[in-house]
Amino acid sequence: MDSLFVYGRLVGAQIRGQMQYRVSFLLQLVGSFSIAFSELLAVLILFRTFGEMAGWRVGEVALLYGLVALGFGFSELVSEGFDDVSILIRMGEFDRVLTRPVPPFLQVMSSRFALRRIGRIAHGVVALGIAQWWLRLPWSGVDILLFVAAIAATAIVFFSVVLIGAAICFWTTERTEVQNVFTYGGTELVSYPMHIYNRWLRSAFLWLVPLGLTTYYPVLRILDKGDPLGQPRWLSYAGPLVAPLFFSVALLIWRTGMNHYQSTGS
Amino acid sequence: MIRYLEMARVSYRRHRAYRAANVAGLATNAFFGVVRSFVFLALYRARPEAEGYDLLDALTYVWVTQALIMPVMHWGWLEIAQSIRDGDVISDLSKPVSYLGYWLSRDLGRSGYYVLCRFVPTLFLGWLLFPLRQPEHLTTWIFFALSVLMAAIIGFCVLFLINITGFWTTDVRGINGLAVTAVNFLTGFIVPLEFFPPAARAIAEFLPFAGMISIPMNIFLERSTGLAMLGLLVQQALWVGVLVLACHMMLAAATRKLVVQGG
Repeated sequence: MDSLFVYGRLVGAQIRGQMQYRVSFLLQLVGSFSIAFSELLAVLILFRTFGEMAGWRVGEVALLYGLVALGFGFSELVSEGFDDVSILIRMGEFDRVLTRPVPPFLQVMSSRFALRRIGRIAHGVVALGIAQWWLRLPWSGVDILLFVAAIAATAIVFFSVVLIGAAICFWTTERTEVQNVFTYGGTELVSYPMHIYNRWLRSAFLWLVPLGLTTYYPVLRILDKGDPLGQPRWLSYAGPLVAPLFFSVALLIWRTGMNHYQSTGS
Repeated sequence: MIRYLEMARVSYRRHRAYRAANVAGLATNAFFGVVRSFVFLALYRARPEAEGYDLLDALTYVWVTQALIMPVMHWGWLEIAQSIRDGDVISDLSKPVSYLGYWLSRDLGRSGYYVLCRFVPTLFLGWLLFPLRQPEHLTTWIFFALSVLMAAIIGFCVLFLINITGFWTTDVRGINGLAVTAVNFLTGFIVPLEFFPPAARAIAEFLPFAGMISIPMNIFLERSTGLAMLGLLVQQALWVGVLVLACHMMLAAATRKLVVQGG
């Protein structure tokens, strides 16, 4: 609880800091929104041309797309500090992190709170609005609960990928760009229904990095669509549950990496 | 001229030093290529052709655009803005070469490196994984190369103009975000301009951004041939002229107000 309190204070200070340059912040917010929004616009243009995608209509893809955007947006909000781990290690700054009486995990996480990423989250909300406008979904209580759980689970999986990427730096020192394949690449991939991909890609994003389980399957349930891949119905509810599991693995890798840490001595 | 060639060569070699980073970037470009290919494979199940693009054209479009990212697009490149912010710009301005020429030759060296080490392998990977359309005429390759060269210069000018706003504002990230959006969209990078609604398409095809992806793409797919293709090349060349002039004028305005603080 104590460390949570510390995290809150540090993030508060970050937000106040970022708000000092109001115009700059607003421009960044608009920039972040517009980059993300152009991708949504591209999807809409494709559907305008083609009408449907492997049995999915535009509203259905927009729902999936919005879910992914929200999950990724929330994870980006808090995960940016981990992008700096490689610099911390190279500069010998991680020594200092280790001497402080706050868990390193929290220190790194609170070192950067990317408020401008709200732009991406806002674009996710726009996508959901478009989806609802097209689909007029009835949204039962269970649906809403499942959808919120799916957003949280997606955010956790994205966050875990970044955490693993940061942990790998303890061995390699350099940041490995392969992480981008799973974060930015993953966002692109799971924004479309999983059944359009071949078996290899599907397996990688269902069972290795379980993004498909936290996005595609819950959305199938909410849309009340059958699974063309023939997985059992309960997977839609079980899917989001794998996120905490994946996070534990990521945390374990992070801990192992930290134990492996060797100061650069500079 | 020799000085500029030399600077381009040094820049080429500087980028060659980061081999691992290039391989990782290649993996990322190719991954996106694979995902986008599956998206088009799924879309074309509904109809065999759209706006003159068949499946083969669409797949080729995906891989050529992915391959062109590093030679012409390079999002978020803020090196000049950074040098304005920390004051290094002064030593660059006092070099006995044109400031614009200095950065342009450096950037073309960079593009040259990425044509060889990113464009070629990305396209090759795409060709291994998916059926792609190859230009029927050998001359198409020559016109395509010319078009890509001009695309790289247009891409550089757009970025130069964004970076140089750093003389007036100290934080160019916001403007950069908007510019990245424009570049992503209006170049025809995320979707071919042909798929835009008619009015938007007409505007986008006129703007300089079309010269970065859409026009080279058009030439590669041999959608325009003969005089129509020459027209596209002329359009590109005109925009190159206008943009280089704009860079000159912006730079002149910026250096007039530049104040050097001692130290």
